[in-house]
Amino acid sequence: MADPELKSKVEELITANPVLLFMKGTPEAPSCGFSMRVVQVLDQVDVEYGAIDVLPALQPLREVTAEISDWQTFPQLYVNGELIGGADIVEEMFESGELAEALGVEQSQASTAAPTAEGLPAQSPPLQIE
Amino acid sequence: MAVDLAELKGMIEAALPGASVEVFDEDGGGQHLRAVVAAAQFEGLSRIDQHRLVKAAVKTRFDDGTIHALSVKTSVTG
Repeated sequence: MADPELKSKVEELITANPVLLFMKGTPEAPSCGFSMRVVQVLDQVDVEYGAIDVLPALQPLREVTAEISDWQTFPQLYVNGELIGGADIVEEMFESGELAEALGVEQSQASTAAPTAEGLPAQSPPLQIE
Repeated sequence: MAVDLAELKGMIEAALPGASVEVFDEDGGGQHLRAVVAAAQFEGLSRIDQHRLVKAAVKTRFDDGTIHALSVKTSVTG
């Protein structure tokens, strides 16, 4: 049974962030290859997203996402409140163009023109779960 | 406990009768497994729901710690 307080906090974050990634580590320093793969895809579609490092509360967050989304492994990408998938699904959807569609962005191969500072991915500041 | 690829394949096949299932041990150490599943039951489901079906089929092996990571690739047949 998940901690009700943490669960409602997570639900709030999912509602408040149209694109939200639960990952191991941070977008700048992913701690797991699967999380890194999702970050790389999101960078290529050039979408703004919130990122939450699950490592400080891994097991409690597993219990929460098991209840919310019937999914216990990370990374998890939520778009408009719905779990889209982990690394495999995100990559597959990126390759087929479905991801850009789900995100409501144009998928351009020439994302080099994107005005990101020093080549850093566009993203909101890290979110914290306390 | 050693990972039994044939058992995992059988569990997925039992959950999705008629499906074509392949399970690979990507690093040879049982840490990164990959399942490629083609099933008619996936018709009309989102990818996440397709993956949920596959993961649910082998849930007991996640729960008992036999497997940690399972990459899944699904496709619809039929």
